[in-house]
Amino acid sequence: MNGIAALQPYVIGLFLLWAGLVKLFGRRLRAQAGQSALARLVGPARAVPAFRLIGVLELAVAAALLLPPVLPLEGAAATGLCAGFLAYLTYARRAAPTSSCGCLGAHSRPVDRRGFARAGLLLAASVVAVWARPYPIDPPLAVVGLAEAAALLLLSPELDRHWLVPLRRLLVRLRRPLAAPSPQDVPLEVTLRLLYLSPAYCSASARLTSDVLDVWDEDGLRFVVYGAGGATAVFAAPLSGDDPAAVRVALIEEPALA
Amino acid sequence: MTSRRQVLKSAVLGGGAGVLAATALGSLGPEAAFGAAAPGVAPGAPDPDFAEGRIRSVKDNTLFVLGSNMVFHRIRVVDGTSLWKLGPVAFDQAKPGDGLYARGVRMPDGVLAAESVWLNIVNVKGHVRNITSEKLHLDHNGQEILCHRVAGKSVAVYSDAPPSADLSLLRVGQHVQVLGAWRPDTNQVDIATVFSPH
Repeated sequence: MNGIAALQPYVIGLFLLWAGLVKLFGRRLRAQAGQSALARLVGPARAVPAFRLIGVLELAVAAALLLPPVLPLEGAAATGLCAGFLAYLTYARRAAPTSSCGCLGAHSRPVDRRGFARAGLLLAASVVAVWARPYPIDPPLAVVGLAEAAALLLLSPELDRHWLVPLRRLLVRLRRPLAAPSPQDVPLEVTLRLLYLSPAYCSASARLTSDVLDVWDEDGLRFVVYGAGGATAVFAAPLSGDDPAAVRVALIEEPALA
Repeated sequence: MTSRRQVLKSAVLGGGAGVLAATALGSLGPEAAFGAAAPGVAPGAPDPDFAEGRIRSVKDNTLFVLGSNMVFHRIRVVDGTSLWKLGPVAFDQAKPGDGLYARGVRMPDGVLAAESVWLNIVNVKGHVRNITSEKLHLDHNGQEILCHRVAGKSVAVYSDAPPSADLSLLRVGQHVQVLGAWRPDTNQVDIATVFSPH
């Protein structure tokens, strides 16, 4: 337990160091500060100075945690900061549910369960850090520390584009969840797009009063029927090929409901 | 039905009785295009010939629809009315709970005689968060929308290319626009067309 407590200042310190540096020097975050929930809290004009102020606070706490000596006060300061994060997330979730939190850089995702889990994990670690005493860090302890850091990183949507998106792309490439279907089945939408481009449709479209009434395939052609006021418009489009000029049309004086 | 189809087929392919205008290939004459009257609706005024809302009940051939502005509509569907629900469908596919847009002619008694009804049609934009079996997970302003591919119906339009039934070129992380049919009271959509910028 002593060992785990001794580990926490380093984990939290490194995480806060990263958060503080991003807030002070991240160009994208500054550009998008107006869209974060913090802008809602302090006003858009004060969003960038507020981010800077929080960044300085985070760096100060990070420096205190990472540099000797180890004092309970440092853990308490980190606990205060993390409790503030959690309160801010709750506010963001209620007041600006579509805004991002801006915690660790710019991204467009609103506050979700992962954000809360990360803030909760940080808060728990900070509370444990209050009891941190100097303790030799051995390999098993280092593994625990790395696992904790990895959990914090996995809970950060800011980093998704670096690992989650490539991982999902790889899985999609391997599993092919949307593999190409059999080519003999031509969806109606394919024919309709060809129809919309055709001189036949363009010349008749002003007369059409309904959407597609009937469709059937015959002799390599697809017949599409529309209502045209008191008349009926019937188009014949080739099932294969993409030449819009091959589409034919006839307007027929026949009640559409005959 | 078959005999009517034969009449229509022979009309478009070779002319026949009752044909007003037809083309062997190419377009009709300009008189066909100018045959329709311009809509007589003042800008900003509600269009009396249009209705939207969700179906509360269905009785005989009439849909009772409550609009999103709490205006109640009665919409009559006849044989000449087109119904869309991920494609042309029969009237029995219109169910209570379905959302709809309808266009037609307003009768003196207030009933909208529908020419076209589109059921549950939606148009959403978002980022592809993930792709799993036959599904796109769309991130639409932070909300997840599950878009299902429907075999034989769903197509993808990549940039300016002709549509294709092959959706496998879509990538995780890219931006798409999905035209489809909403599954009422869920966050799920059946894809009609998915537009990809590349």
